[in-house]
Amino acid sequence: METIITKLNEIFNVRPKILRDRQITVEVDKNRVSSMLLYLKNQMGFIHLNHISCVDWIEEGQFELVYIVWRPEDKTTVLVKTRIDRENPEMENIDTIWDQAHTYEREIREMFGIEFPGLKAPREFILEGWEGPPPMRRDFDTRKYAMETYETRPGREDAQNVREYITKRTGEKVPDFAKKYSRD
Amino acid sequence: MSIIDLKGILVPLGALKQIAKEPHTIPYPDKTKEVSDRYRGFHYNDLELCIGCGNCSTICMNEAIDMVEVEGVEGQPGDSGLRPRVDYGRCCYCALCVDVCPTGSLNMTKDFIKVSPDPYDFLMIPGKDNPEDKDLISFTADKDTSLNLFDRVPMRELEPETRVKSFAEVFLGYTEEEARIEASRCINCGLCTENCPVHMHIPEYINAISRGDDEAAIKIIYDNNDLPEMCGKVCTRRCESICSLQVRGEAVAIRWLKRYATERAENADMIRKIVNPEIREPNGIKVGIIGAGPAGLTAGYYLTLKGYDVTIYEAKKDPGGMIMYGIPKYRLPYDSIQKQVDYMESVGVKIHFNTVVGKDITFEDIYNQHDAVFMGIGLQKGWNLGIEGDDAEGVWTAVDFLGKVNAGEPVDIGKKVVVVGGGDVSMDSSRVSRRLGAEVVQLYRRRIVDMPADDEEIEGALEEGVEIIEKAIPTRIIKDENGRLKAIEYVRAQLVKPEGGGRPRPVPIEGSETIIECDAVIAAIGQKADFSLLPKEVEEALEFVRGKIKVDDNRFTGYPKLWAGGDAVKYGKVDAISAIADGFYAAGSIDEYFGGKAPKSSKHHV
Repeated sequence: METIITKLNEIFNVRPKILRDRQITVEVDKNRVSSMLLYLKNQMGFIHLNHISCVDWIEEGQFELVYIVWRPEDKTTVLVKTRIDRENPEMENIDTIWDQAHTYEREIREMFGIEFPGLKAPREFILEGWEGPPPMRRDFDTRKYAMETYETRPGREDAQNVREYITKRTGEKVPDFAKKYSRD
Repeated sequence: MSIIDLKGILVPLGALKQIAKEPHTIPYPDKTKEVSDRYRGFHYNDLELCIGCGNCSTICMNEAIDMVEVEGVEGQPGDSGLRPRVDYGRCCYCALCVDVCPTGSLNMTKDFIKVSPDPYDFLMIPGKDNPEDKDLISFTADKDTSLNLFDRVPMRELEPETRVKSFAEVFLGYTEEEARIEASRCINCGLCTENCPVHMHIPEYINAISRGDDEAAIKIIYDNNDLPEMCGKVCTRRCESICSLQVRGEAVAIRWLKRYATERAENADMIRKIVNPEIREPNGIKVGIIGAGPAGLTAGYYLTLKGYDVTIYEAKKDPGGMIMYGIPKYRLPYDSIQKQVDYMESVGVKIHFNTVVGKDITFEDIYNQHDAVFMGIGLQKGWNLGIEGDDAEGVWTAVDFLGKVNAGEPVDIGKKVVVVGGGDVSMDSSRVSRRLGAEVVQLYRRRIVDMPADDEEIEGALEEGVEIIEKAIPTRIIKDENGRLKAIEYVRAQLVKPEGGGRPRPVPIEGSETIIECDAVIAAIGQKADFSLLPKEVEEALEFVRGKIKVDDNRFTGYPKLWAGGDAVKYGKVDAISAIADGFYAAGSIDEYFGGKAPKSSKHHV
């Protein structure tokens, strides 16, 4: 563990942190991600890419990509994290380092809308015929999308609004200025 | 190569070892596949437990859940009568609906197979259309995993030792942070509104508080309650008893949230500025109101907003009626009532204090000088104990006792007081007596759990050192030679279930007589109205039910141009919010009666 931390600090000038037992997390600039991953794979024995994950930091206008790599000898995991701009997001493609990375990248491309130029198979992944915004982004309004995209089955016209149903029973008159605080 | 291909014969035989193994395929439909314990298949809804709050329908991101009327399910307070119906063409089986169900009636099952050529078959009312799934429940949300917050933000209060030293307000009110957290627990279903006599817009103002819009909350609150700060402190809060969260947890503190919001408007001017009510052009119609209690004030306030010329006649020197003279100041401070009444006067309500109807002005005068009259006279007289010696000096009725204390008059109750009763008024009497420095014993004919008083009041009284003797019936008052109270005798009772069912009846146990020496006895066993102000022909024309005036839904008495409300009227329960409702609906009815137009004379017949 200590060696990994010292080496990464020496070469990449980063400050890795021990997350918990046999787990190290390190934040790095997006331009140095591939070189760090290559170093971890070729020099440190982290031969397995576990997963690539994405976090939407909408308040900060950023996406965070998390590359999780693993070393079989001592079962150690390193999480390489990087932040990219949320506007026109683009990230270097690493399927040249690990072939299977393209599956994760295709998924992230579809769910978060991040482009990976040079992707082996940039076609749609699981969202067939999807025309809406990337659905895993936090500003994606599921209900709005569902209402606009899918028609309502006939036979559902008898649905009642609970609040209105009770006011009808009690004779309560909710004034207009209060209605914007009613439940939809 | 040998003649017999031994290998060729033996190897296929090896396949025989599979013969005893279970196949991987399933002979459906004789057998269904075992799925994992927390599998999310079709829903199952316990229709009895469900209260139709619609939280499942609101949370569903796919708009897959409708609330619909279901045959055999009747609505009642605390149950909308609607039940969820799921469109399985839209449902994505995420189970958020289960996670937010306040009662835990909605669950998901291991059943996931349904084949039908008819697309309407996939609209299902869980629990009604799939009763067989009851035994297949898999995904549930218990109190720990549910996304609802079941625990109320506790209200800060004074320590009992500090409380008994003065009449300072016991409950300290929510801070802004506490109020926001508590308000955010509300799921805004609105079931609570049904139990409120005046049907306040509860989900709307709580939602406004949770969003940080306190001024909007105040405006919404004043829409149909003109004494909300009073209600925020002392309401009987029947709304909370049917809150959807109280099925499995603690009800939203609706009363404390109302108190929080209304206290944000610190004075009458601020209320006026925030509420900014629409006041109609004066229409010249005069309405006389007898009694400035909650009923009279409410009718007066809403009629004034509708353009009527309102005059309230009040016998006492201060407004509020029972909320001023009946409720102790540690629950409802004087300033709080005054602030709300100041606001009402600022919109044009006129109140004549120290004007006893029947003495300073006659009922006939008020009746003839006004186009309509509303009567909210309350229950002014306490019931006597009705036992031997109850005329002794030192025996009080709670109304007289609390009235004197609240008016600031000196009251001598000595060192030891016995209070009789089990309602809120008895608790007030006991706790006020403690504050006056007396030792207090309270007698109640049933058990503490049977007391009609608010649990919070009972708890408060016990904390303050009031001794409550359960199942005790007073039998006689013992006087000294001067006719002054010396002691009270009571017998213990046992509770006997009546044969026809109903509440257990206390039956005295013979020989269990006990005598308590005391300096004062306070009877808090109920009140009655005093109708002596009414002229004979009016009294004869009115209909009375058990000592109270009978009115219709509009609080109309049946006597021309006379409406009535409050405790002295037989409609709903006896509490402040019911009186407010009476005033509110009477105001609406009077306005309807005049059709919003301005007649010049008072010749109206109904």
